[in-house]
Amino acid sequence: MSTGGRPRYPVYVPEYPRSWWLETGPYRRFAAREITSMFAAAFSGLLLLFLFALSRGREAYEGFLRWLKLPGVVALFAVILVAVLYHMATWFRLTAHIQRVRVGRTVLPEGAVVAGLVAAWIMASGIVLYFYIWF
Amino acid sequence: MSLGDILDGSDAREVKRRERSAGPRRERRLLRRLLRPEPVFWGLFSAGGFVAALLLPIHVAILGIAFAAGWLPSRVLSYERVQHLVHLPLVKLYLWGLVALPLYHWAHRFRFAIYHQFGIVRWKRLVAVGCYGTAIAGTAVSAWVLLGI
Amino acid sequence: MAEATIAMKVARYRPEHAGEPYVDEYRVPYREDMVVLDALNHIKDEIDGSLAYRWSCRMGVCGSCGAMVNGKPRLTCSTFLREFHPKPAVVEPLRHFPVIRDLVVDMTDFMEKLKEVKPWIIRKEEKPVEEGEYLQTPEEVDAYKQFSMCINCMLCYSACPVYGRDPEFLGPAVIALARRYNLDSRDEGRAERREVLGVDWGIWDCTFVGECTVVCPKDVDPSAAIQREKVATTTDAMLSVVLPHRGGA
Repeated sequence: MSTGGRPRYPVYVPEYPRSWWLETGPYRRFAAREITSMFAAAFSGLLLLFLFALSRGREAYEGFLRWLKLPGVVALFAVILVAVLYHMATWFRLTAHIQRVRVGRTVLPEGAVVAGLVAAWIMASGIVLYFYIWF
Repeated sequence: MSLGDILDGSDAREVKRRERSAGPRRERRLLRRLLRPEPVFWGLFSAGGFVAALLLPIHVAILGIAFAAGWLPSRVLSYERVQHLVHLPLVKLYLWGLVALPLYHWAHRFRFAIYHQFGIVRWKRLVAVGCYGTAIAGTAVSAWVLLGI
Repeated sequence: MAEATIAMKVARYRPEHAGEPYVDEYRVPYREDMVVLDALNHIKDEIDGSLAYRWSCRMGVCGSCGAMVNGKPRLTCSTFLREFHPKPAVVEPLRHFPVIRDLVVDMTDFMEKLKEVKPWIIRKEEKPVEEGEYLQTPEEVDAYKQFSMCINCMLCYSACPVYGRDPEFLGPAVIALARRYNLDSRDEGRAERREVLGVDWGIWDCTFVGECTVVCPKDVDPSAAIQREKVATTTDAMLSVVLPHRGGA
């Protein structure tokens, strides 16, 4: 029955709900994962403000540091931290799923790839911490 | 009587029709076919995702939480020390990447969220330009700020 | 009568009667080993012969019997009633497709998209029969084997919210099948398929929700196929700037 285009009989086409992403658990988790990118961008903006304050001199910079200590701002950073950690968890899991890592003739199981990415994260965090505190 | 006869004679009608999204199905312009920007933006999205996953948590924890809680030695974020660190060219390059790449990650995801989750199908090109444009602007501004330190 | 029964709520749509779809409820005898398809066949044979639905092999290899069972895209021949009993089983037509009648959906869109990606071996020059067969090592077969398991059941299209939102999207199965041929060592058509896949409504429309992989009855993992195709296309695009004639993976 190849009609090549519109079928020549009346069909029922249900309206697609706008809130499809609220309907099931997997869809909601997907939406949460996508939203974490907004918090990552928010941190980029805040880091840019930090650097801008630095470029304006001591007064501006120290004013920014005082702003960082406000409880509301700390709460914002706490939310950003949770979002960024959720991003990290989902990103590592997804990367391990699509990227097959070969060692010799065997393919590593997904859990091993995730573990490798977590190890890389710990190392990167350690290096950053070193530069902040001891360099 | 065949099904066709029955359908022809019935008063049934199509109940609802979904709007087909805008945009031509065939790419006619050769230049557009050759210089597709999607791989570039997807590549930047991917790089931004790795930066956000590997590097953002520690930076957020240090700058946002540890400093305010007083867990850092006091000289760590002192004006002189930070000035000295940021003057190093490699540190400037690193900070530029740290600010710019997550913006591309956000731009790509937000553009599709507007399309798929908020259902705004009509101004696809405008939304894409707005999202990636914001990321490009952020890249330029951060470069300007860093060069001025 | 102590015979066990189960209630079946089946979506109906009769185009020869004007109006909206509705739900009919039937009571069907229940046994531990029955699947939804058995119940549908019982309804058609014994209760209501006007029910329309597709089925064929009844063993999960033909891909004909896809339907929404209790809100999830399933093959009716592979979904056991004991999952729901004693609660009712709700059967609706496959989501995101126009409904022709009852549980029968219009597959035209899928079939047209399948043809667009040229799911066959493309050779610049066919090897003449006298030269023998194309030889492949087990590793070369493994490279594409998973994606060749697709039975075109379209459950992934029902699970994909991108396809639901944007019917232009090529969709999981079609892209996975395109990748199956791209990865086949006998095939030389990657560039041709890239023109079809590399457009806005091709691989780039996918946002890796991943539900297509979850519902696939043959473990094809179409979402992985799409993301790997994105990686390959991006790598090729970047490398072609440096090495203009490089073929890609």
